[in-house]
Amino acid sequence: MGAKKLFLVDDDVIFKIAAEVLIKTHKLADEVVQMSNGLEAYNALIALEHSPNDLPDVMLLDINMPVMNGWELLEELKQGPEIIRNQVQIHILTSSIAPEDLNLSKTYDFIDGYITKPLTNSDIDKVKKGL
Amino acid sequence: MKVDLKENFDLRESPIPLVFMDKDHGILQFSTGVLNFFELPNSHVPKKLDDLFGELPLGLKTCVNNNLEHVEIIPIVSKKGKQRWIKASLFPFSNGSTGFQVFFDDVTEDKEHYELALEAKKIAKIGSWKVDLIKNSIFWSKITKTIHEVPSDFEPDLEKGINFYKEGEHRERIVEAVSACIESGKPFDVELIIVTAKGNEKWVRSIGEAERSNGKTIGFYGVFQDIDEIKREKLKNEELNNRMRAAVQSAQIGIWDWDVVNNHLIWDDNMFTIFDIDRDEFKEAYKAWESALHPEDKERATHEVALALEGEKDFDTVFRIRKQDGSIAHIQGRAQVFRDGNGKPLRMVGINADVTKLKRKDERLRKLLDLTEKQNQKLLNFAQIVSHNLRSNSSNISMLSGMLLSNIVKKEQDKFLDMIHTSSERLEETLNQLNEIIRIQETRYSDLHGVKVLPILENVLERINATIVESKAEVCIDMPKAIRVIGVEPYLTSIFMNLLTNSIKYKSPQRALKITIKAEILGNRTVIGFEDNGLGIDLEKNAKNLFGMYKTFHNNEDAKGVGLFISKNQMEAMNGKIEVRSTVNKGSTFYLYFNNNE
Repeated sequence: MGAKKLFLVDDDVIFKIAAEVLIKTHKLADEVVQMSNGLEAYNALIALEHSPNDLPDVMLLDINMPVMNGWELLEELKQGPEIIRNQVQIHILTSSIAPEDLNLSKTYDFIDGYITKPLTNSDIDKVKKGL
Repeated sequence: MKVDLKENFDLRESPIPLVFMDKDHGILQFSTGVLNFFELPNSHVPKKLDDLFGELPLGLKTCVNNNLEHVEIIPIVSKKGKQRWIKASLFPFSNGSTGFQVFFDDVTEDKEHYELALEAKKIAKIGSWKVDLIKNSIFWSKITKTIHEVPSDFEPDLEKGINFYKEGEHRERIVEAVSACIESGKPFDVELIIVTAKGNEKWVRSIGEAERSNGKTIGFYGVFQDIDEIKREKLKNEELNNRMRAAVQSAQIGIWDWDVVNNHLIWDDNMFTIFDIDRDEFKEAYKAWESALHPEDKERATHEVALALEGEKDFDTVFRIRKQDGSIAHIQGRAQVFRDGNGKPLRMVGINADVTKLKRKDERLRKLLDLTEKQNQKLLNFAQIVSHNLRSNSSNISMLSGMLLSNIVKKEQDKFLDMIHTSSERLEETLNQLNEIIRIQETRYSDLHGVKVLPILENVLERINATIVESKAEVCIDMPKAIRVIGVEPYLTSIFMNLLTNSIKYKSPQRALKITIKAEILGNRTVIGFEDNGLGIDLEKNAKNLFGMYKTFHNNEDAKGVGLFISKNQMEAMNGKIEVRSTVNKGSTFYLYFNNNE
């Protein structure tokens, strides 16, 4: 069973188009909401705080983004409403292969996965299994 | 000595210590000299010889009994309690009457010398020798034989004697010395090695003098001393000394010695060399030291000397001096204080070494470390670029092409091919940026030269004229026409372009953009400031990342975060730096600092 709703947060338009096609082909989610930076995602999540049914089941989050990057969003969520951390499975999806980034991701206990680009079929299967 | 006794001769008057006595030791007559000699009062009248110096030695009594000439050396203790040696010479009367003239002589000094010599001979192992050229005989004293390690019945001759000298230089030198002594009577004093009868090598000193008669050398004699230990010790010392001198000289270490009590400071030659001061210029080394000390270090250095004298702290410090040519040298000083039994300082002996080169090496090392750290930081930035821009585009290409190949995409094939093309273009752009950054890193000093600022700035403004007009920005330039900086023209163009477009990009929507560009010379630096009244940057949050790679600070989605990173690298490549002052919603000023020293 796939997810109902998925947030795809990345500043790279090409990646988002390709990723959405891949996600839908594999039926990971029925609805893919594209966002360009952390701030957009944050505002959308906070807006849904009181209607938890509309919160996404999965959020694929890039790290290097303008305006508000992935880490900054995670910091905000850490302080934010608990329901977001509990209900949204957050997977980092980055082109970074730096071990520092992987280690930093481990300091957030509400993160469910760490995927290195390119996004592959097996990555999507793994996220799907975790649902 | 004989005295003619005349009828009218009064012995009493004579200052010579002399008595006439009969064979029973009774004194017949005596001179005042005797009283003085034996420290007796003038009124004293000695009756018998025993009265003058106590019991008579047996040898003297025997000679008196047999009416024989005799000389005896007798120890006495003077009235002042000193040991004296008296030589008593007895001569029987020559006029037939029985009795003696007794003459006294003080030989204390001779005796002491003699004993000292005896002692010295034993310690110094000094033997004697004599060569009689007429009889063609040689005499070696017992010690001379001992030194040669030959038995006491050894019979030397000239050839044998010379053959004891070690073959080569040593034998040649003794032959030369002896020949010269024989031919011209020239004395010799040589230090040479002999090989003893037992085969031991030994340093000896041989001193010889000619005995001449009618202008011909008829013999020569001298002393022979075993100086082996002394010589070896001396040679060792010399070697040590030479080594030390060499070490001290090559290490540029100066030695000083301060007589604290008399306030007298002595410097060795190296000290004057280190301080670059002419020895004749200063009567007192202390004045020389004080005058050379760097004014900023004077108080501290003299204070540390005082502390060392008080025993609070060992003197071990580095201070600066100013040489006559105006250059500064760093001197390392160490010293030890010598004290009397009560801890009062008597002397202070120390060394000074010029550590300027060392210090410079140290500084260079630190600079190198700094540079390495900076380059490491840049490498880290590189890793970020590789992992972000390169990987994001290459992973896009791999993902898109993979999807095309697996036929996931059916209707949208053209769109996907287009996206692959875009990604590869972006990949190329990133590679070009990286190339640019690497090129900047490789800027050499020879690439730098004086560049006029104003024409470059005007050229940039012309190139972005359309954008300026569109943004309705007002640009004010306030700088001398002739102002120059040391740099690279394309870098300046790139930096000016970047700063100006940034100001336009991040202008405030609430007010008309105004950009002011000023330049001024501050000492050996030229500062160019780009001031705007735009959005400003929250420096408290972003100061660390401002000039980093791919860092952006505004809600501007086309910000790539490369511009300031490249500008910073370009400034550094031109030996300059870039700084920023900014207030959110007031504006930003970027300062470009250029070094004017080639």
